[in-house]
Amino acid sequence: MSRTLVFKFLLSVFILGILATFITGCAPSQPVTPVPTQLSNPSPDDPTLAPTSVAPGPSHVTIVIPEDPPNFNAAISDSGYDALVMHLTLLGMVAIDPDGKVYPVLATELPTIENGQVVMGNDGSMDVTWNMRTDVTWADGIPVTSDDVLFTYNAIIDQNTGSWIPGIDLVTGVDKEDDHQFVVHFSSVYPSYLTLFGNRQVVIWPAHYCKSEQGFQSWDCGRKPLSDGPFLLEEWVTGDHLTFAKNPKYFEPEKPGVDQLIVKIVPDATVRETMMRQGDADILMWANEQVADNLKNDRNVKVSISPTSRFVMRMYINLAGKGSTDPQTTPNPFFSDVRVRQAIRSAIDVDTISSTVWHGFAVPVWTEFFRPPYNTCEIPRPKFDPEAAKALLEQAGWVDTDGDGIRECKGCNTARDGEKFKFEMITYSEYGEPLTLTQQLIGEMLKNVGIQADLSQVQGSVMWADSASGGIEQNGDFNIDLYDDGYAGNDPTDFIYQYYSSASATPDNGWNIGRWVDPRMDELLNQAYSLDENSRKEAFCKMAKILDSELPQILLFSTINADVYSTRLEGVQANVNSVVSWNSADWKIVK
Amino acid sequence: MANYVARRLLQAVAIMFLLSILFFALVNLAPGGPLAGYGQARRIPAERIATLKRQLGLDKPIPFQYVVWLVGNDWMKVDLNGDGSPDGPGVRKGVLRGDFGYSFRSRQPVLDEISQRLPNTIYLMTVTMLVALIVAVPIGVISAIKQYSLFDIVVTTFSFAGQALPDFWLGLILIIVFYVWLKNPVTGESLLPVGGIYTLGVPFSIADRLAHLVLPVTAGALGWLAWYSRFVRSSMLDVINQDYLRTARAKGLRQSQVMFKHALRNALIPLVTLLALDLPYLFGGAVFIEMLFSWPGMGLLYYQAALQRDYPILMAVLIIGGVSIILSNLLADVAYAFLDPRIRYS
Repeated sequence: MSRTLVFKFLLSVFILGILATFITGCAPSQPVTPVPTQLSNPSPDDPTLAPTSVAPGPSHVTIVIPEDPPNFNAAISDSGYDALVMHLTLLGMVAIDPDGKVYPVLATELPTIENGQVVMGNDGSMDVTWNMRTDVTWADGIPVTSDDVLFTYNAIIDQNTGSWIPGIDLVTGVDKEDDHQFVVHFSSVYPSYLTLFGNRQVVIWPAHYCKSEQGFQSWDCGRKPLSDGPFLLEEWVTGDHLTFAKNPKYFEPEKPGVDQLIVKIVPDATVRETMMRQGDADILMWANEQVADNLKNDRNVKVSISPTSRFVMRMYINLAGKGSTDPQTTPNPFFSDVRVRQAIRSAIDVDTISSTVWHGFAVPVWTEFFRPPYNTCEIPRPKFDPEAAKALLEQAGWVDTDGDGIRECKGCNTARDGEKFKFEMITYSEYGEPLTLTQQLIGEMLKNVGIQADLSQVQGSVMWADSASGGIEQNGDFNIDLYDDGYAGNDPTDFIYQYYSSASATPDNGWNIGRWVDPRMDELLNQAYSLDENSRKEAFCKMAKILDSELPQILLFSTINADVYSTRLEGVQANVNSVVSWNSADWKIVK
Repeated sequence: MANYVARRLLQAVAIMFLLSILFFALVNLAPGGPLAGYGQARRIPAERIATLKRQLGLDKPIPFQYVVWLVGNDWMKVDLNGDGSPDGPGVRKGVLRGDFGYSFRSRQPVLDEISQRLPNTIYLMTVTMLVALIVAVPIGVISAIKQYSLFDIVVTTFSFAGQALPDFWLGLILIIVFYVWLKNPVTGESLLPVGGIYTLGVPFSIADRLAHLVLPVTAGALGWLAWYSRFVRSSMLDVINQDYLRTARAKGLRQSQVMFKHALRNALIPLVTLLALDLPYLFGGAVFIEMLFSWPGMGLLYYQAALQRDYPILMAVLIIGGVSIILSNLLADVAYAFLDPRIRYS
């Protein structure tokens, strides 16, 4: 009897629990991140107070992305989705358009030497004076001032809670001149000074709203931003969606053109694409080649491709032996000889890879300086020529002596005689099928010239970890890695420095993971860190020639940078230098 | 029984302690690290990477990190500014005091992240398992009673198919049929929503919630349904050949009485045990279903945390999984003792 009673009791509890769970799950009890209304002057007309249960009106736009943005501060995590929501709500001093042109946003004009706002010191230092617009306010009505810039700068450089942004190490201080003017002091010339406080990842944060003691990386305003941009965050239901309303205090008249914006989290790529086709989504951020190809002929959507691309698929060649980071004491047995590197480049048919794997969207790239305004160097495109590759390998002492199709060292001077030309080519698994297929195709092309590449994949978190965490690249534990990289913005100098300077060639000090060192490159990099555009272009072209002949990396092709949008929208444009929301104030719904 | 339960709970504490060490070691000793995927980490100077590690608590040896994770560091002096000397107490309270730390990625408290996802997963998985059970039990019973009949053969075939079909594939097919092809004849919109828990911007309605459940529950329940129906069939077959059923029939009881009063009640005892053992799935979620149907649950959270090496989230999910498995095992044992008078724990 008692056993039956207890069992019935337990069963009842279980059923009640299930019912409670169902009711809880049904109820709109999801944690909501409310808009920071505590600083606003509430008024019935204030759209920030609009109830979230109101169905989206006819003027709403839905953007689909695969995962939650970590927060609204793209300077600390750079997932891209943080930049998406950041640029919906917050402004920088400047921004960069799809062609790489910098334009003022919070600034009234771009500081230059010509207008006297950039002053060079005798000691090589540089002072940049910025003037700010006086008509921009935060959503609570408080003006955006130079105090906010100083606050942002101090938050970034805080040793305990700050972060790092490119160029910040060269800044010796920021001084407020008045509420709308400030001066940035650089210890040396920094060519990208214009985009220090305004780029894909960096915006200005409100001093009166963000709590500095919480720190740049963790402050609450990174989850609940106070807008000065075109949109206000209404709610954030983690893992599901974020909703935004137009900012009535946005400084540009008649903008934004969209009343409400929904960022919907849709993890599955096929479902995102299907939602675009069905008209349930208006913008698909970051369409890959497959999606762009699938949707390019769909009447209901348009594919916007950025006029310049950023990411270049490339082969990173370790000039040190696998497991070593010192090419002097332990040269790589295969790739120390530049003729071998040249042979590999000649053996790869980029056009075939582009057409078969990348749906024709991959554009051949053979120099780092392929983007405007620095695409002025005359570097001829290398030919796909397997016979020339074979000849180069023969010259380098790699001959197939036993007729098995794989070459052996016979007087190659970099490996012991008889060693087969067999190495591991690694890529990272997260990219997915196109990179896997590219790796396989390259493996086959190399086999055609007598080189056996064993293919493997690892997670990016293993490939790129620091040396203490077992990072493959920083520990030199590879022969050739294959993946894509490139720089945002319009200045390649920092990027080139990271990959090709001698200072970046030691573990954990940069990404010259091939340990390729050339004093000429260091000199040219010094020359490039100037504001003399002619001198910079000259330096870049000399670098291009050195890189073309030495081949520390083999560049293959650029990948697509595209966003897909509904034909009921106007003004959406992919921007490789930012994210699709870079011009969200200009979007309009036309049908 | 009380002594038995108390002893098992004590054992559970010891097991969880050992498991936590194992989990922590596995998570932290895997090659690679969270900083590799940390945005600009590829561009950040070495000294700033060191600062980041200190901020995330990754600069100390793993055993020390485990101690901080378990009991916090607010009782000890820690180096806050990286100068090598202790400055003041830390801020971590440790798991034993309910502090699972902060997500590396979102910088939000881990328990906040979990509490946002866990109800969604329990909601989805409970409905999925209930639907599976409600359909599976009658199917299994009829299959057993009518062994080798056409019905039994068909059910058996579909059961194997149900177990073999990957849920993500089935989910995609359901999406194509019910979201892309079939339209609501009145509104002209898709017959069923493709994902999410509810329609954004529409006032709360049970119908809307149910509509959002149909596809993920169907895709998720088929595998469970096949598994439970096979189990019930097998269990029933064991029981209906027992002597006491023959006796019941000999006494002149109706077939329905024999089957549902005597056979089914006994046949379901192993199922209850099985259900108890399956309870952890209520908390763990289903990665592919959640991903396909944009369901913000635990499975998706774990998957993304694993890819991004978000150690604090990973540890919390693993611990919740470990606790739920241990408790469900205990529940299964206790339930079995209640249901079967022959079982006694001493």
